[in-house]
Amino acid sequence: MNQAIEVNALGKRFGEVTAVDGVSFAVAAGEIFGFMGHNGAGKTTTLRMLLGLTRPTAGSARVLGRDVVHETLEVRRNAGYLPASYSLPPDMTARGFLHYIAAMFALPRGVAAARADALLRRFGLEREADRPLRGFSTGMAQKVGIAQALINEPAVLLLDEPTSGLDPLGRHELLEMLRALARERGVTIVFSSHILSDVEALCQRVAVMHRSRLVACDEVERLKDAHGARTMDDLYLALVRREAA
Amino acid sequence: MIRLLWLDYLATLRERKTWLCVAMLAYALVAIPVVLARPPDHVRAAIAAWFGDATPFQIFMYVWIDLTMNKVIAFLPVVIASGVVLRERDTGVLPLLASKPLSIPRYFVVRALSACAVMVTLHVATQLAGAAYFTARVPGFRPGPFLGAMSLHAFAALFATALCAAIAAWVKHRGASALIGFATLGGLVGLSLIGFYQPAWRGITLANPITLGALGLGSLDHLGPAVLGPPMLALAALTALTIAVGAAGVRRMEA
Repeated sequence: MNQAIEVNALGKRFGEVTAVDGVSFAVAAGEIFGFMGHNGAGKTTTLRMLLGLTRPTAGSARVLGRDVVHETLEVRRNAGYLPASYSLPPDMTARGFLHYIAAMFALPRGVAAARADALLRRFGLEREADRPLRGFSTGMAQKVGIAQALINEPAVLLLDEPTSGLDPLGRHELLEMLRALARERGVTIVFSSHILSDVEALCQRVAVMHRSRLVACDEVERLKDAHGARTMDDLYLALVRREAA
Repeated sequence: MIRLLWLDYLATLRERKTWLCVAMLAYALVAIPVVLARPPDHVRAAIAAWFGDATPFQIFMYVWIDLTMNKVIAFLPVVIASGVVLRERDTGVLPLLASKPLSIPRYFVVRALSACAVMVTLHVATQLAGAAYFTARVPGFRPGPFLGAMSLHAFAALFATALCAAIAAWVKHRGASALIGFATLGGLVGLSLIGFYQPAWRGITLANPITLGALGLGSLDHLGPAVLGPPMLALAALTALTIAVGAAGVRRMEA
């Protein structure tokens, strides 16, 4: 199968602290890939390395065939990213911000306007589109954050805790939209989340990180069978306890 | 990049800090003719000592350039540019922006140019409004030489803004960069007219970019391309160099 993301022994050290230790996995084109792990496990650092936001200290990674260190801008041109922690510029409107992000991709004005309108419509933000972002609720801001990740119609989407801040309906709609993106447009999605039910609902394959290392990477059902787990919670705890033992 | 620059310029124009700057400039515009109508004794004495046989228009231009617009370009560029990229980093916007196909140094260049454009817009708008207002309020006011001298001063404002942005890029802390920017510009402004008071030091003070911006003050009766062109070119080149130095400062910055 054609691989959209290939990660080989990727590592990152911050001084004496090892944030990511020899992580290897691959994600097929059009796949929705789950990324699980507790806070500080190394998920965010791994995602950041895939976009060239953090420079690896070991190993290598390729996204859509491009090296993440030497072809960073090409990787970003075809990728969408939602960080786990971010803010929106308070003085800009939602529409203005999407136009601004579109300009960073050098999208023509007409294309940018059409895509911004479509995304605002898709996320139900038309009525708030011209209000300053400072007044947006957490859920609305998260929708704008996801919309900005989609403005360039990316081939690869890296989402770090995308459902945080969304209400149950918003979460359901987001998961449906991600399924549609993968199914209809072949977008490769890396979905990092603490909410294991979201990962189970969306992803066929998952990677589990624990203390900077990848402790499992396989199909969800196969992992469950191998560890005698009935639920994702059971599976996650089994993997983590095995590492701790 | 041009579209991004334009959108960033519009966004910066709409920010609250820009409206604070507009309010300060509006106050200066309205206040100066009032102050000049009854100048304080120490100002009158200083003017008499430095410009013994100066015309009222020359005195007005000294007051406008040194006491008003030089102070403006020691303060407004700090407000507009000393948080370039740092504010985005500190408020958490940078992680979104840095994941786009634009390196942080290039993004700094866009933000610095946008800040420069906003400063020049405010400066030019103030001079145009001043030319109209002062014609009605200041006896002996000459709009042509006023606009000529102030067009050169706008380049000093451009440089001052680029300098604040570059300081921010290297200092990497918003508060410290604002303080250092203000102190640096304050020093340059404070020394800018020494050549007028002490002709022996004139050559040395030409190394001060703010002095270059005020050179029109010494040639109000024969301002033209030969007088204005060289300092404008020098200030434009210094601005470009300063922005390039600033871009080097953010090369290793992580979002």
